[in-house]
Amino acid sequence: MSQTATTSTREIPKEIERFNVTFRIQHIIMFTTFLLLSFTGWGLKYAYAPGGVSSWWIRVWGGPETAGIIHRVAGVTMLLDFIWHVIYLFYLLGTKRMTINLKTTIIPLPKDIFDVVQNFLYFFGLSKEKARFGKYSYAQKFDYWAVFWGMFIIGFSGFSLAFPMLVSHIIPQFATAWIWQLLSIMHSDEALLAIVFILFWHFYNEHLKPENFPMSWLWITGKISTDTLKHHHPIEYEMLFPDAKKKED
Amino acid sequence: MPYKKVVCFAAPLLVLALLLPMKASAQESANCLACHSSMKGRVKAASGNLIELNIDTQKFESSVHGALACTDCHIKFSDNPHSSPNAPVPQEVLSVSSKISKKYPVDPVAAAACVQCHNETYNKVLESVHGRNITVKHQTDGALCLDCHGSPHYILPAGNPGALMGRQHQVETCGKCHGNKALNEKYKMEENVMESFEESFHGRKLALGHTRVPVCSSCHGSHDIKAADDPTSPVFGNNRLKTCGKCHKGANEKFIPAITHKMPGPIPYYTEKALILLVLGVFTFIISHVLLEAFSDIRDAIFRKGGHE
Repeated sequence: MSQTATTSTREIPKEIERFNVTFRIQHIIMFTTFLLLSFTGWGLKYAYAPGGVSSWWIRVWGGPETAGIIHRVAGVTMLLDFIWHVIYLFYLLGTKRMTINLKTTIIPLPKDIFDVVQNFLYFFGLSKEKARFGKYSYAQKFDYWAVFWGMFIIGFSGFSLAFPMLVSHIIPQFATAWIWQLLSIMHSDEALLAIVFILFWHFYNEHLKPENFPMSWLWITGKISTDTLKHHHPIEYEMLFPDAKKKED
Repeated sequence: MPYKKVVCFAAPLLVLALLLPMKASAQESANCLACHSSMKGRVKAASGNLIELNIDTQKFESSVHGALACTDCHIKFSDNPHSSPNAPVPQEVLSVSSKISKKYPVDPVAAAACVQCHNETYNKVLESVHGRNITVKHQTDGALCLDCHGSPHYILPAGNPGALMGRQHQVETCGKCHGNKALNEKYKMEENVMESFEESFHGRKLALGHTRVPVCSSCHGSHDIKAADDPTSPVFGNNRLKTCGKCHKGANEKFIPAITHKMPGPIPYYTEKALILLVLGVFTFIISHVLLEAFSDIRDAIFRKGGHE
């Protein structure tokens, strides 16, 4: 089939760029700070773990004072990374470097729901066909938007807990009796959700899955082979290389 | 040579001479300890109270009070087989002992004797909510020296990790009463004190070994402790601006309600329930998806070789 591709009128490259260098840096900052936040926050969330294991774990991170500083610095860095990402997206959209296309967008669409249903049918052997994806599968969209949810819930609550005097100015008087407790519940519960989500969803889909194990080097190179693209993102592949499909047919 | 002789004779004498003035009281204590260090168990006094007989000599001597003689505090015996030492009881001890005799019916003088050295502190305690519970309300379960600091025979220096009112043990020590359901009900005290502290960032950091995080007395005061509804309490209303501000620079009126021992209100309570539902929902989806996908991959690998697209 690669022969078919090379003989087509429009040359099909071996690989194409999926994420540019800015996105790659944003991803690296995101996962580095995420790991630091998880490691230091976990010890505080489970401070009463049996056998003083959390107290030992926090000493690994330099003791409670140092772990607290690491957590705050990583948290602020992650928030800045997120803000940078959003501004960058607006820049790309504003300068028409990026356009919204239903086949390549990361915005959730009704199709994603049907894809989930389709895949579950396939898992149960009720359908012979897996769902076909555009640039982003529902799993990847879920991964991406989970970060947004986390940024609003965990990021905002975390910022408020780290800088309470600053944030207190925007807190209405009637909320002061419960807001602080609410913020710490939000921060703690949603952080657990985020960690388990990454552990199961992201790690399985991007690392443990047989076809990705141990990982795709995409996060460093930003490149995806057209072969992989064809298998995992057929709708995008067909959009990018319409001639190839014709030839194959 | 004569110089050496002098040293040989004089040195032991000098040492003896230095020891002599100490010996008088130490000798007396040694008499008491000769029996009490080997006696075990408790004995019932005429009043019906149980009295601990044993003194752990080693622990006593390494405590802050190790240099005191027994009779410095046990000035007068009223309800036991010993004959009283004939020293007169100081006036200030007598006056305190009459105020606390309800709590210490056997030997109020010994319990009041702390006032001889800790005069200012003892009087603060008697004026505090703990002290007034004994002196004014005549209750026997109000806290006095021994309830917080433990046996006077074994009190450790403040910085010692084993000290009952030190950072490591204070919360536990206060919890003996404030985590006691019967006492909380009797005095209509906040019932969630221990749990809310443990849950708070303060409590968690303390458990992890943070060295500056507050314990009970950091916010509530110590010997002059006040009831939470006393307007002079450091945790009453806007007094917290100053109390919280000791650590949290710029603490303002919207910040100070952050730490409370009250039960969580309905908003945090139901939000937490909703968040748990969300977490469980997401877990169910991702875990079933991951497992089913893994099983279908295995199935495909075995039964549908090459069938993958």
